[in-house]
This record gives sequence, C-alpha cells and structure tokens, in this order.
Amino acid sequence: MNPVSLDQPWGRGVNATHTHAFADDKPLPAQSFLPRGLGRSYGDVCVNNGGGLLHTFRRDRLLAFDDIHGVLACEAGASLADIAQALLPRGWFLPVVPGTRYVTVGGAMANDVHGKNHHLCGNFGRFVTSCQLHRSDRQVTQTVSATDAMFPWVIGGLGLSGVIREASVQMKSVPGPGIVQETKLFGGDGGIDEYLALDQDSAPWEYTVGWIDTLDPHLRGVFFRGKHCDGPDDWLAPKPARLTLPMDAPQWVLGRWSAKAFNALYYRAQSMRTAQRETIPLWQFFFPLDTVNAWNRAYGKRGFIQYQFVVPGDAARETVPRILAHLREANVASYLAVIKTFGALTSPGRMSFPMPGTTVALDIPAPNSNDLRALDRADAMVADVGGRVYPAKDARMSSAMYQRFFPHWRELEAMRDPAISSSFWRRVTATLDSKL
Amino acid sequence: MTDAANVCVVGATSAVAQAAIRIWAQRGCALTLIARNASELARIAADARLRGAPHVATLLGEATDAAFINESVRSMPVPRVALVAYGSLSDSVRADSDAAYLAQELHANFVSVALWAQALAERMAAENATGGSIAVISSVAGDRGRGSNHVYGAAKAGLNAFCSGLRARMAARRVHVVTIKPGFIDSPMTAHITKKGALWATPEAVAAGIVNAIDKQRDVVYLPGFWRLIMLIIAHIPEGIFKRLKI
Repeated sequence: MNPVSLDQPWGRGVNATHTHAFADDKPLPAQSFLPRGLGRSYGDVCVNNGGGLLHTFRRDRLLAFDDIHGVLACEAGASLADIAQALLPRGWFLPVVPGTRYVTVGGAMANDVHGKNHHLCGNFGRFVTSCQLHRSDRQVTQTVSATDAMFPWVIGGLGLSGVIREASVQMKSVPGPGIVQETKLFGGDGGIDEYLALDQDSAPWEYTVGWIDTLDPHLRGVFFRGKHCDGPDDWLAPKPARLTLPMDAPQWVLGRWSAKAFNALYYRAQSMRTAQRETIPLWQFFFPLDTVNAWNRAYGKRGFIQYQFVVPGDAARETVPRILAHLREANVASYLAVIKTFGALTSPGRMSFPMPGTTVALDIPAPNSNDLRALDRADAMVADVGGRVYPAKDARMSSAMYQRFFPHWRELEAMRDPAISSSFWRRVTATLDSKL
Repeated sequence: MTDAANVCVVGATSAVAQAAIRIWAQRGCALTLIARNASELARIAADARLRGAPHVATLLGEATDAAFINESVRSMPVPRVALVAYGSLSDSVRADSDAAYLAQELHANFVSVALWAQALAERMAAENATGGSIAVISSVAGDRGRGSNHVYGAAKAGLNAFCSGLRARMAARRVHVVTIKPGFIDSPMTAHITKKGALWATPEAVAAGIVNAIDKQRDVVYLPGFWRLIMLIIAHIPEGIFKRLKI
C-alpha cells in the first residue's frame, strides 16, 4: 500500500510542498525533515511545508516473530495491514487498531493511536516493548526500551523525537478471523444517557463504539460491540478493495443538508437490519472504510477536517451534548460521528491524547470561517472541563489551546530532534512568549 | 502455476523484486534469494518467511560475476520459476568519456543477465520434467536507443533480442521465457526524481504484473500495458526526426 499523496495529509485541506526522500540506511537528511509513514493523519502532523519528508513506508519488513510470547519485531514502515495478514493465520492479531489498517507501526507509535478496545487495553504505545531510534544528533541508532527516559517522548511524540527504525510489538492471541458483533440503536428521548448506559452494560465486551447523528438533538445513534471469534479460512485475508474513488466529489453535494440526509439514511439502514447479532470478518468490523480506496475523495478537492475531542469522565454526560448542541446551532455540517468511552489505563507516552472519559470524532467537509469559529469555541469548552483535542486529526487548533491541552509540550520541544519539525509543531508552538 | 513451487529471484533487494517475493511468499513458495547486500538480504528473507514462505535460502554475491552465476545456478534447488531483476541505471554522460564504465554497464545490464537466463533455462530444461518459467526484467528503454539513455537502452535492446531467441530455443524444451518491459517505476532507485506524473507505476503494481505474466505464460509484457502503445509510437518516429528530439 502506497500513500495516496506524498504531499498532503489524509484530510487533504492542507496544501504543502516538500523535498522527498526515502528512509534507508544512509545518514539522515541535513536539512529540516519529518519522518512520515503512510500519511493517514488527517491534518498537518504529517506535513512539513517547505521542508523535507523522509518516507518510511518502504522500510516495511517483518523481521522476527516469537510464536510463544507473541512479540513481533519489524521495521517501522510496516503497515498494520501487512502485519495482521501475516500473523492472523498463526492466531495472532494487533493489540490495538485504529479505524484504518493502512497506518505504519511508526505512525501508530508517534500518534499513540487508540481503538475500540481502549476501555480494556489502552493505547497502541502500551504494547510496544522497545524500538530502534535514529536521531540526527547522534551517529548511531539506539535501542529505546519502555523503561528508558526517551520512550515517553517517542510514544505520542508525533515523530519529533527521532526516526523510529524498528519496533517490537506485543501481539494478541485470537481464536480466529471472526468478530461476533451486536448492534443496538439508541436515542429515543434519552440522548447521551442511552449511549452511556449501553456503554456501561457492554464493559465486558472487548470492543465498543457508537455512531451518533450529531445533527439530531436527541443524539440518536447506533452502538456496536464485538469480540473475537473463529471464522472460515477465507476470512484470514481481507477482501481486496471493492472500489477506488476515481475522482473528487463535487463541492455542492457536501453541505449541511446532504449531511442531514446521509445521517438519516444511515440510521434508517441500521434500524432495518434484521440481525442484531452476527459473525463477520474482523476486517469488516475494524476497517469498514478500507473497502473503498481513496475514500477521502468523497469529501471533494477541498477535503475535510476531523474534529476529535475527549472530555474527562464525569463531565461527559453534560459536556458532550453541550458541545454538540453548540456545533449544531452554529450550522456546522457533520457526517456520522464516532463516540467512544476511554478506559483508565494510562499510556507510556507523555503526550498521548486519550484520558479516562468520552471522545467524539466528527468529519467536517471543507470547513468555512463560520465552522472554524465554532470549532474554536468548542476547543474552549473542551479546555474548560480539562479535556483535549487530538493532534493526529487536527489542522486548525490555536497554539494557545494546544498548550492548554498538552501542558508538557515544552518537554517534548526539549526532547525533539533538532533536525525534525512539522507544520503542526511550528503552528502549535508559535507563541507570544519571546523566549521561543 | 507457481503455487508452492521453488522460486529463484536474482537481485532480490530491488523494489520490484521485493514486492514479487511477497506475492510468492504468500502463496507458500520456497524461495532462493540472491543479492550482494548481506543485511538487506537477511531482512528480505526474514520478511518472506513471516509472510508465508516455508523455506528461504539466500545466496550472497555479485550478480554480474560469471563464476558466481554458474555456482549459484548449479547449487540452488532447481527452480520452477526464476526472476532476474537487477539492473543499473547507466549514466550516458559518464559513458561518453569512460570506456571502462561503458563496458561495465553493458556487462551488468546485458551480458550478465543473459548468462543468468541461459544457465537457469538449461537447468530447468534438464532437471524439471515440466520445465519452468524465467522472467527477465528488461525495459521500455530497449525498444529504441535514445540520446539521453543510449548505454542502458542498448543493453536492454540486446537483452530483448536474447530473450526472444532464448524463448524460441527453449519452447520445445518446455521452458517459458517472458520479457518484462516496465516503464517508470517509483522506487528508491528513482527517488531523486520528484516530479512524477501518471506514467509512474508502483513497484507493487509492476510485481503483480510480472507474477501474472508468469502465471499466464505471456511472452512479452509492458508494465503498465499502456507502454506498448507509447513505444509503438516512439519506435515509428523516423530516425531523421528522432535524432533531433531531446528525449
């Protein structure tokens, strides 16, 4: 799998130019650069406008697998797709997966990604036992283990603390390639309470996630929960993508009314499904959008942004509806949003996004100035209750907000490889403080 | 037809070869991988094992060395399928004034590749009851000598003629020879070229085309296929005009 664009992030709205290099064994580039995997981050954490990108996606060899303990050693450019496909026939799967399998191990570490099992397992970074890190200010590649002082700045470090060359990841033993999935509708009059009750009931389920219609005042939605099970052998490999979007959707189809119609259709389709409980290939459960190549083109040439925030534990019941009502009243178009309750397990990464609480992710096509103002206001509402916004998906938060969300940012700046930078990092560390 | 067969890849570290190796590994083929970079070769072999190859042997050496070619082909498990995938992007300007370099490049891209193909074909014909398949990576550059690329193009043109003749010689002995003519490939070898348009193909796409050409016993394939049309046009430009074109 190759990146769709070498210059743009997945959300496409960011225009940038770079000099490109492929990661190899040679010395690191001398000028400013940013290591980049498959470029699936939505915003400018994977962009280094005017500088270099060091592409790691060709350094993707699987190096060793310990069948007894389930530890995989691989190059950091290896994609979760390749790893899952190689190891599933042996009865092993990734410990944590995000919504696409087309991310590299290095990218999963640098953004410390989470998945539908966060409430039980925490972030990806918890399963990295060690890595090989190459810094421009040191001549040799060093082993960084989970107990080393550098490790908390590699995990969730947005690629800034050095080039991750290799990593060892603790895989998870699974009974086979299937998932038992249960689907439940919510949102009569209960709103968020119904979601929270379903989520609480589902705590023993390994995977939980909800889709909500944020344009509906009652926050109707669909709750999914799943657990691993066996399945037929032809589920061991994913079906090839059924469709590649050949062109960009025209901009006029992407307004608020389209979003309303789409959400209503989706909810209706889910409510008419007869099977409340079914067994499906795990690929379909974890990566529904990967069946369409280049699905980001559905959002048109101007792209989209994703807005993902988390608010801590008790604040969710009151804050999530308030933030969503604010965005609705501000006429922000949002397609079906994802809601997920995080668990209490902490990550080794100091800059990781999740915290115990509730997270919501919204897709917003081609945001205009009204949308951006509304999101700034939402940032403040998130900050006021001690929450944060997810850098891996961001292309717009202010530096002031970022620094409230991630108060340890100066420590990451101190640990940063002096040759590595990103458009995101320059944006969110820009400050009126003259010391920087 | 290559399910679980012995497959030999010469020049295993090239981006196209690595992608093809993965396809064969996933099919459960036993592999013999040949390259000169020991650490890269070890990584590629480990990767192939983890992706499903039941047995992977490696041979470390200089693919252009005649003695190494003979010894390798003699000692490897007799292959059902072989891919010869190495090459060198010759510098035409340097060749203008450096005769030793010119000879070395012709040897690397033509003579040594022909030696591999001949030796592999003989071994397959002699020891496999059902013959075998040899895929040789040539280039669209072999279809016409261009001013910017005359040494590389000439070597590949020689290789095209050699493969065509070998195919005819071996047809009765059940050894299939396929000439692979890729266009531009977006790989580390061409990483320095930053402006890449629609003509550029990924190593994965080219590798899938090679495996498919072997499976279907094709004779000459352009990868991607549109290059056949482009080269048809280029081959028919009158020489008087062609020699003035800066291509």
